[in-house]
Amino acid sequence: RDFYKILGVSRGASIKDIKKAYRKLALQLHPDRNPDDPRAQEKFQDLGAAYEVRPGAGNVLSDEEKRKQYDAYGEEGLKDGHQSSHGDIFSHFFGDFGFMFGGNPRQQDRNIPRGSDIIVDLEVTLEEVYSGNFVEVVRNKPVARQAPGKRKCNCRQEMRTTQLGPGRFQMTQEVVCDECPNVKLVNEERTLEVEIEPGVRDGMEYPFIGEGEPHVDGEPGDLRFRIKVLKHPVFERRGDDLYTNVTISLVEALTGFEMDIAHLDGHKVRPRVLCKGEGLPNFDNNNIKGSLIITFDVEFPKEQLTPEQREG
Amino acid sequence: MWSGRRLFPLLLLALLPGLCHGREPVPGAVTCGSVLKLLNTRHSVRLHSHEVKYGSGSGQQSVTGVEASDDANSYWRIRGKSDSSCQRGTPVKCGQAIRLTHVNTGKNLHTHHFPSPLSNNQEVSAFGDDGEGDDLDFWIVQCSGTYWEREDAVRFKHVGTEVFLSITGEQYGHPIRGQREVHGMPAANHHNYWKAMEGVFIKPSLDPAKHDEL
Repeated sequence: RDFYKILGVSRGASIKDIKKAYRKLALQLHPDRNPDDPRAQEKFQDLGAAYEVRPGAGNVLSDEEKRKQYDAYGEEGLKDGHQSSHGDIFSHFFGDFGFMFGGNPRQQDRNIPRGSDIIVDLEVTLEEVYSGNFVEVVRNKPVARQAPGKRKCNCRQEMRTTQLGPGRFQMTQEVVCDECPNVKLVNEERTLEVEIEPGVRDGMEYPFIGEGEPHVDGEPGDLRFRIKVLKHPVFERRGDDLYTNVTISLVEALTGFEMDIAHLDGHKVRPRVLCKGEGLPNFDNNNIKGSLIITFDVEFPKEQLTPEQREG
Repeated sequence: MWSGRRLFPLLLLALLPGLCHGREPVPGAVTCGSVLKLLNTRHSVRLHSHEVKYGSGSGQQSVTGVEASDDANSYWRIRGKSDSSCQRGTPVKCGQAIRLTHVNTGKNLHTHHFPSPLSNNQEVSAFGDDGEGDDLDFWIVQCSGTYWEREDAVRFKHVGTEVFLSITGEQYGHPIRGQREVHGMPAANHHNYWKAMEGVFIKPSLDPAKHDEL
């Protein structure tokens, strides 16, 4: 199998491009989303093998060692083979219980108790907002595992009426429980990937379903990463536009000057007052960019100009 | 003639050594920006806070130890001394001063010269607003080695009053029955060891703009 073709990336693609490609294709090719395609499962598994996430073991195209082996020897050359369990791979990017297609949060049966959500603030730089990035995170959480014996569950208060004598009744409150299989909470770890998409705005959230706090009698809550865009020393963000300030001397202002400023990913910009297309990518359509607005401050000399300076 | 020209800084993107090969330099270290629960190893309870104020002492929000391992109110966020001093994903060094911010209430782990209600040690509270408190919010991570490793038990020594974050076992009654008192004590002993448990641990980040590593 040509792993590069399956992911749709070139042989020289960076890890970031590979992760981005996986994430996009995983959403498109998931069997739940393609119920009419008989080959959907196979395509999805191929995608998983190409990306290959195993806790602790590393990925094929996104692990440098394995990639070198694959490039040299092909799939057979990979040392200890691989098990592609798409459950593992998928939850690496989206959390447990998969991802509910249709865009709505999962249809919750209101009777199922749910653990708390955890909200983690994720600080991102303006450089990351411009170019995007992936953040790897290790989630260590308690998971309910089967244990021997039984336990009391779904405990609730109920009113009991007892008859004390003819015509005399007493109402008491009683705690009533069901019997359930015993569970114990065991700590487990897995790696998650949060994608910082270009153009992302302050306050936007990336949820991982089921990665929040567990609930012994019900479902776990969710883990949500909330984006916090940090202030930048050079550029100020307003929507998709960037503002910055350039200081020039009086001489430059009078005689003209040539200067380049470095943008967030290092590329150079020749400053004019308004540079269209040099702002931040729009979150909904990365091809549309805002503008870079530059204000020029002219620094006037503090003392009298010497005759030489006047000549210059 | 070029007076006043400001040289534009080349935007240097932080890149930790060895990252281009997909392996972090310190795989098991606690990093800034991570959110975690801390277990006191002697008493097996987790550092916890909630919207319950002390009835004595400073009257600030109380900090306790709880037995449950699945309480979302036991999550603390690791931050540097100032917002710029410890970037997301930077491993915390032994001897470094940090702040621990309670995730659900936004208050920082804090101690000051007030007596604790049950044992008469030093009261430990949760103080501040939205992560901003004052100079009594800093704690030094004491450990052997270079970085605070997740598997290691470490001590937290307060900057300012020099006490260690501790639990000695005293329990509260109603309305927080069974929760243990958390206080500061001057002696370093087996009551002040803490270990990172459940949480969301951020790995050092890959450099976004310039990667042609393969």
